Amino acid sequence: MRPSPMPSSMSGSLSRALDVVLVAGVALTAIELSLLPWDDPSLPLLIGLALVFLIYVGTGVLAWRRRPTNRMGALILFGGVGVYLAGLQNTEVPALVAAGLAGSTLILAVLVHLLHAFPSGTLRSALSRWTVGAAYVNSLVLQLPGTLFGPAGQGNPLFITELPAVADGASALQAFVGFGVMLATAYVLIRRVIDARPGQRRVLTLLYGFGAVAALAISVIAGVLGRALEMPPAVVGGLQLIFIAGVPIAFTVAALRGGFARTGELDELASWLGSASGGRAPLSAALARALGDPSLTLWFRMPHSDRYLDEHGNEMAASELDATPPPSRGSVPIELGGGAVARIAYDAALIVDPEPVRTAGRVVAIAADRERLIAELRVNRSELTRSRERVLDARDQERERLARDLHDGLQVQLVLLAIAAQQLAGDPAAPSQLAARATHLRKEIDAAAADLRRLTHAVMPAALVQHGLAAATEDLVDRMPITTTLGLGIEDGDCSPAVERTAYFVVAEALTNAIKHGSPTRAAVRLVRTGDILEIDVRDDGVGGATWHGGTGLRGLADRVDVLGGRMELTSAPGDGTRIRVELPCVS
Amino acid sequence: MRVVIAEDEAILRRGLQLLLEEDGIEVAEAVGDAPALHDAVERARPDLVITDIRMPPTHTDEGLVAALRIRAEHPGTAVVVLSQHVQRRSAGALLMGDRGGVGYLLKQRIADVDTFLDDLRTVAAGGTALDPDVVEVMMNRAVRSDNAVARLTPRQREVLALMAEGRSNARIAAELFLSEKAVVQHTSRIYDALGLAVDPEAHRRVLAVLHHLNG
Repeated sequence: MRPSPMPSSMSGSLSRALDVVLVAGVALTAIELSLLPWDDPSLPLLIGLALVFLIYVGTGVLAWRRRPTNRMGALILFGGVGVYLAGLQNTEVPALVAAGLAGSTLILAVLVHLLHAFPSGTLRSALSRWTVGAAYVNSLVLQLPGTLFGPAGQGNPLFITELPAVADGASALQAFVGFGVMLATAYVLIRRVIDARPGQRRVLTLLYGFGAVAALAISVIAGVLGRALEMPPAVVGGLQLIFIAGVPIAFTVAALRGGFARTGELDELASWLGSASGGRAPLSAALARALGDPSLTLWFRMPHSDRYLDEHGNEMAASELDATPPPSRGSVPIELGGGAVARIAYDAALIVDPEPVRTAGRVVAIAADRERLIAELRVNRSELTRSRERVLDARDQERERLARDLHDGLQVQLVLLAIAAQQLAGDPAAPSQLAARATHLRKEIDAAAADLRRLTHAVMPAALVQHGLAAATEDLVDRMPITTTLGLGIEDGDCSPAVERTAYFVVAEALTNAIKHGSPTRAAVRLVRTGDILEIDVRDDGVGGATWHGGTGLRGLADRVDVLGGRMELTSAPGDGTRIRVELPCVS
Repeated sequence: MRVVIAEDEAILRRGLQLLLEEDGIEVAEAVGDAPALHDAVERARPDLVITDIRMPPTHTDEGLVAALRIRAEHPGTAVVVLSQHVQRRSAGALLMGDRGGVGYLLKQRIADVDTFLDDLRTVAAGGTALDPDVVEVMMNRAVRSDNAVARLTPRQREVLALMAEGRSNARIAAELFLSEKAVVQHTSRIYDALGLAVDPEAHRRVLAVLHHLNG
């Protein structure tokens, strides 16, 4: 066999087979057309019926091609057979007419079958199987007595003899069974609409509604409209034709577009596996698309346990996977090297047969194992980040507490001491020399208090705690000994305290470094929030040549920035000033 | 003069109260947080409120918020806000009302008792008292960004800073070892230089200067 560039030779072969079906359909239509009585007054309707058969073939092939393992396509093609048989009644070849008479109501049974089998193409409950079986018996078996023993029809090749009692009895039984089939079908469909997920309910309601109307129209329309309202046969027939033609179109559109399962499109998975790993969608999304279940999720097994993780780091036990709401979830393991590496959780109402899911799982097993390792790493990393954030937070809280303790304790003490010294100085009984020394003491205490203020301010500035980043930066810039401009594009409280504090310390450290090492004449600070990013930009026109190391404190700040998921950039060519730019994700 | 004190540190609250009472100032109530301050002002209708900027429950700037509210609700009550650290922004907020009767001082200034009591009286009389620290910040900015201030002589700048702090001419004269007449000459040159109209009312003159510096 020639090596095929196609990802799967099976799908190529199916595709060719469906082409053959399509050609055969066209050929059969041509044959039927050639056998029609061309002088018949209702010829347009007869031609219409032949063309409706083509619609069934076309939509059936389309559905089959797009959903290779879903049986809806095959079922629609089978409906086409019913339509074709009905059309054969109108030919003038006795054998064909006989076949046509036998299958004249087959399309009704197929319609019932389609309604029950949607969307997977299989019958899911015993009630559905019995109902559909009854529908077929009704249309194929109970139809016969009327043809065999009914009133002698013109050109009825199946006519044996006239037995009115048998014919009428069969007709009554047929009507009775038909009524039962309708009731059971209505019950099943209404239950399904009730149980459906909200996204599917609309599609199901529309489709089932159309199916019910079509079934009534095809079986009853002739009697009611034709006889009771005396409408021209051409109009009645035309209406019937429109409903019959609408059935395959409605089911195909619903199956392809309604968000319902398509099963086993492994080609898509294969091409996903082949695509460059950088740009490809997550594995679970590829599986969901291939299997046609948007609710599908992939759970990776954690090492040495029976617990599973999804791509977002959520955790669940294997037993919980099947039990999560909505109630009809199923899950199958993906196995590699004798053990489960992951589980695929899917909507069991949508995908009845777990086998295609299992097959898809086998296809992606190695990729799933790789993703599992990535998910594990991600969990470890997010734990690490969280713990770093906690350390940062704890450090800030510690600083704030320290600043407050200094303020509440020592500062108050110094005020009281200074008051005492001043009172001593102002005491009229004190000798003047003592008064002078007391005043001097008070001034010393004031100086100590000023030092303490500076210290507390460096630990955690009051402005930052009291007002926020904008006010604190303004205060910082106010106290710069060189001309410093400030561009503010933020409001206090825009970002979380951790981000605001980090931004403040970046600006403070950058300005302190500039004054200490850079001898600049001017500096500029810019704080702007653009979307969810806080941009910090500090520039000076000093000597430049600043590095991450060398006691600048920039290294520690870079760590802070990194913990918050930001980035920091230092530009400091010798003789060309220093510029520090930081971007921090800003969430308030 | 009737005063209400709001300070969350009990020991400092008590010390402040004794200090004022020793000087013959009536302390109507001394409370420890902003809601209590509000109630005390409603009850006592004091001439002056002295409040810490940072108090329970949030320990941020409730003293400042309370002070602004008191100035708005009771125009007859002056306020002095004490803080561990002074900022231009808070000074600006207090001066916004354009009416005087506000003070903004570092807590440590209490220790210089005579100056502190002077400041309280100035504020209670409708004047202003700004901490030298915040005035320095305002002056530095003005010297860099305002040509009129930049062109003043060093001596004129000293006089301007003391005016901004809310000092009287007599006090400025004493601090700079000048005659009061010399101070008056300096101030009128400063008004000319800054293009300010000379207001016969001293407090309003100071406010005009502050707005110019803060502008």
